[in-house]
Formats: sequence, structure tokens, C-alpha cells
Amino acid sequence: MLIELSGVSKIYNQGKANEVRALSDIDLEVEQGSMVCLKGPSGSGKSTLLAIIGCIFPPTSGRAAIAGRQLARLPDRFLTLHRRETIGFIFQRFNILPELTVLDNITLPLLPLGVPPRERRQRAQQLLERFAISHRARFPAGQISGGELQRVAIARALINNQPIILADEPTAHLDTALSREFMEIMQQLKAAGKTIVIASHDPLVFEHSAIDRTVTIKDGRIHVP
Amino acid sequence: MAQKKLEKQLNILDYALSSLWRRRMKSLSLLLVFAAVIFLLASFQLVTQALSDKAKQVLAYTPEITLQKMSVGRQEAIPLAYRERLGGIFGIRRVVPRIWGYYFDEVRLANYTVMGMEVGEMPEGARLDTALASGAMPGPGPEEQGKVVIGQSIKKALALEGRTTFSLFRPDLSLKAFEVSGEFSRDTDILTNDLMVMNLAEARDLFALPAGMVTDLCVYVANPKEIDTIARKISEALPAVRVLTRPQIQKTYQVVFGWRSGFGSICLLAALAAFVILAWDKASGLSPEERREIAILKVLGWETSDILAVRFWESVLVSGLACILGMTAAYIHVVYFAASLFRPVLMGWSVLRPELYLVPRLEAGDILLILAFTVIPYLAATVIPAWRSATVPADSALGG
Repeated sequence: MLIELSGVSKIYNQGKANEVRALSDIDLEVEQGSMVCLKGPSGSGKSTLLAIIGCIFPPTSGRAAIAGRQLARLPDRFLTLHRRETIGFIFQRFNILPELTVLDNITLPLLPLGVPPRERRQRAQQLLERFAISHRARFPAGQISGGELQRVAIARALINNQPIILADEPTAHLDTALSREFMEIMQQLKAAGKTIVIASHDPLVFEHSAIDRTVTIKDGRIHVP
Repeated sequence: MAQKKLEKQLNILDYALSSLWRRRMKSLSLLLVFAAVIFLLASFQLVTQALSDKAKQVLAYTPEITLQKMSVGRQEAIPLAYRERLGGIFGIRRVVPRIWGYYFDEVRLANYTVMGMEVGEMPEGARLDTALASGAMPGPGPEEQGKVVIGQSIKKALALEGRTTFSLFRPDLSLKAFEVSGEFSRDTDILTNDLMVMNLAEARDLFALPAGMVTDLCVYVANPKEIDTIARKISEALPAVRVLTRPQIQKTYQVVFGWRSGFGSICLLAALAAFVILAWDKASGLSPEERREIAILKVLGWETSDILAVRFWESVLVSGLACILGMTAAYIHVVYFAASLFRPVLMGWSVLRPELYLVPRLEAGDILLILAFTVIPYLAATVIPAWRSATVPADSALGG
């Protein structure tokens, strides 16, 4: 299993007056090369679960192993290093920096790895061509269309060739055509061996044929119908 | 491994540059204020240094002991015969009479400092001929009648334009003719700018001083370590005479100059403190876009130390550029504009000279001092806000 969660809970501000229990007793296993959708309404805990799988923070309790590493045992710095090597993120609204060029946005994850400029450009160029946006490489990201922006975000998630792709509400601000295009690209990535976890409450995502499994989250727990 | 680390720092530096460019209005305003503070400090340092050098230059021409006759608290002419009474004091190398006075030229509405002396009698090193740009100092003989050496501002005031002769009025309003035999160099302007040197007889004639009288007696000693002892012996031999020693004059310069310099430094430190507060304010005010950017970078695998490195390079770039701008502007201000902002503070209004050409000397120590007073407080003021920004939680980039 590439992703293994067992009895995972997350409590924000533990022991304080504003304590919030975001996740309770989550068990989840995701096989390599599969595509899983985390479904649930806003505030259900999808993003928190995605953050734990994405090595942004460890769970408050329970076991979480991502690509063979136990998160609870990793200090903050090693969580970041593990995230760099393992996880590619696609954010809600894509979180592209609008003043940077398309090329600079895509190569952002490579800067702290000490990848020299020429190699950065070569790696980005391959992805730009793969997603048919090489003509936009030098454009400021704020000046390209929504569909192109989506492909830039996916290219950025793939630049370091990480085995796991996490997408947080990727179609929340896209029209139907772009949402379909997004899922087609995810299907291609899955076929290429990537493990994909998408947090979404968009039927176009969780009802897509490429989704192997849909996990419903409600009030911080996995909901079994 | 080292190569990777270097590449990483170069990548982060590249990102810091682009980050400054993206926030160019904010960066530019900070850069300009910072450059202005450095400009003030560097100008002040350059002027202080240049004036200290000039003061040393002046003191090199000052006699070791100067004697002036005082009567009812005011200076009056001193008889040449007093020289004889110094003969018995051991250690005196030479006593040179001098006429030193101020001449107000009513035609040109200018003040000149007139010095009458026998240059040949002065010891080498104290002679003003080393300050000459052209010509020669007037000698003692009758063939040197009317010969003068003048400073640059006198040359300008007289509007000679190729002529070498001019006239000045004696106290009885008769005209006395002069011929310019030399000019002082601009390098010694602080001493010679308004100076007119002639032989003793010519100065006596111009001021209508009685024969056998001068304004000062300049005493040169064999051993500079004995100045105070010899000065005390002179005071005992000539009780009505004021005895001024070179160390006393030096001390007076230092006290006056030090006070002015200190006053200026306090004003500049206040400006620096205001700038540090501004830097703190600018660095700590994180906009929602900046918070979002940092959260995105962290999710994408940037460590807190990487974000800190970006902030560090930004600060280094801003302060480095501000230093270059500020110091260059300061140099131009001192050399080409004669430090017009600080002249009143450092030189005093009452002794303001018509023109002054400062030759600034910026040494490595001065540059380090300016950096210590500007860049270090700036980096210190931005380190905590930088830490705050670097610790923005990565999960704030994710949705709810």
C-alpha cells in the first residue's frame, strides 16, 4: 500500500478553549496506481485528511504511513523533505502565482532542491509540451486562460516526478468542459502509474469512470452508507 | 553536495530578486528611504574625514608657539624688540615676526586674510610655498615690493581675468598697488582660500603699522616635546603676552569640531532609528497575497529555512543596493556640491568661508562603520518579521 492510515485523528488547538476535532478514527488504504476520491461537504474534514496524506502535518493520534514512512515519527523538516519527494499538489483555484511566468510557476518545487536553471527549463519544457502549453511558457500566469492555468497546475505537481498526486477541490471553480478535461488528464496520469487522491464534492469527479473508489467523509469520520 | 547547496542558494537568490521585482513599489520606497539614510551618514562621515584632514593641514603650517600682546583683554601690536627677551630661553630654534590681519575690501565687498612674513626665515615644512599652485612666495628685498600670493576666492573676488595687478586702499585712503606673484592651490583652500601673503614690509605698509611692530611672534622650537615647558618660560619672561601653543589650538579645534560632529551624529541616529521602525513596519505587514504565496511554497516543498533565506537575500539586496546608491550620492554631494547640507553644522555659520573644496577619503574602516550603523540594524529589524512570515502554516494554502 502506498498510503496507509489507521485510527487517524486530528485535533486542532488541542487542550485550548478553541479546540476543534477535525478527523476521528480514520482508516484508509490506497494502492499504488489507483485513483481515490474523498467526497463530502465543505468542513467535513477532506482537506485535513489530504494535508495528512500530503505530509503537511502528522496526525494527532493513529498511524499514517505514506510511501513507507511513518509520519508521526518524522520531525517537521523531514516531513517537508518527504513531501518534496513523494507528493505533487494540485490546489483549489490552482494557487498559481499570477505575476510569475508559466515556466517559473512550474519550476517552483525545484528551486529548493538545487536544480540548476538549465535542467529546470528542460524538465518544465517536457511537461509544457505534454500538456500543449509550451507557447505560453514566458507568459505571466495571470494572463492565461482557465484551462491553461489548470494544465500549469498539473505540470507543477508532476515536475519532480512524485508518485502521489493530491488534488484539493480541483474542479470547484471550473466549468463542465474544463472539469472533464481535468479528469481526462488524471486518467492519463493514473494509466502512467501515478497514485491519485482527489478531495471533491463534484459529481463530475466522484462519478468519473477512472475513480476506483469514493470515500465519503462526514463530520470528520468515514461515512459508510 | 556543496555544489547542490550553492545551486540552491543561487536559485533562492534568483527567486528573491523576482520577489523584489514583483513588489517593486514597496521595495523601491524602502530602497529610497534606506539609501537616503546611508547618504546622510556617509556624507557626514566623508565631510568629517575631509575636514579633519584639512584641519591637520592647517595645523602643519601653524607655529609651535604664537605670541600676541594683550591689552585690556584685546590683542594689539607686539614690539619686535620682544624677540631679544626670548634669547635666553633654551630650546627656541627660531622666532619669526608676522603681521596677521583682516582686510575688508569695500569696493568688492569681500574680506581678505592678510599675512605679512619673511617666508625665508620660517623653518622648512612650516613654509606656505608647499601650498602654491603656481608662482613663488614674495622675498624680503625691495625688488619684491607689491608682490603677493593669493588664494582662489581672492582671485575670483578681484576678477583679475588675465591681469596680475590690483590695488587696495591704505587706512589713509591712498592706493597701494600689488602684483600677483603666485596662487595657492585649491587643495589647501581651508587655509588659503581667502589668504593674501606678502612680505613683512608690504603688510606693515598696507595696515600702516608703526615700524618695529608686528601682530604676532611665531616661535619654533627644537624639540616639540618641550613646547609646554618653553611656553611656560615665555609666559614668565613676557607676562603681558598671550602664549598660544599648537596643541592648545588643536584641542580647541577638536572640542568645537567634536561637539558639532556629535550633534550631527545624534540627529542622524534619530533618522536611522526612524528608518529601522519603518523597515520593521514594512517587513511585518504581510498582505494576504504574501501569506498565500508562502503557504503555497511550503506545500510545494520549501522549508521554513528556505523562506528565511529568501527574506535574507531580499534584505541583503535592498541594503546592498541602498549602500551603493547612498555612498555614491554622498561622494557626489561632498565633492561636487561641497557638502552643502552639512557645512553649516560642521563648520559653523560665523566662520563660513566663501568656497571650500573638500577632498573626501573613504577608507575600508569608514565603509564598515557605515555598514554597521545601517545594514546591521536593518537586518536585525527585518529578522523577526521574516521569521513570522516564514512560519505561515502550509495548510493555509488548502481549502476548508
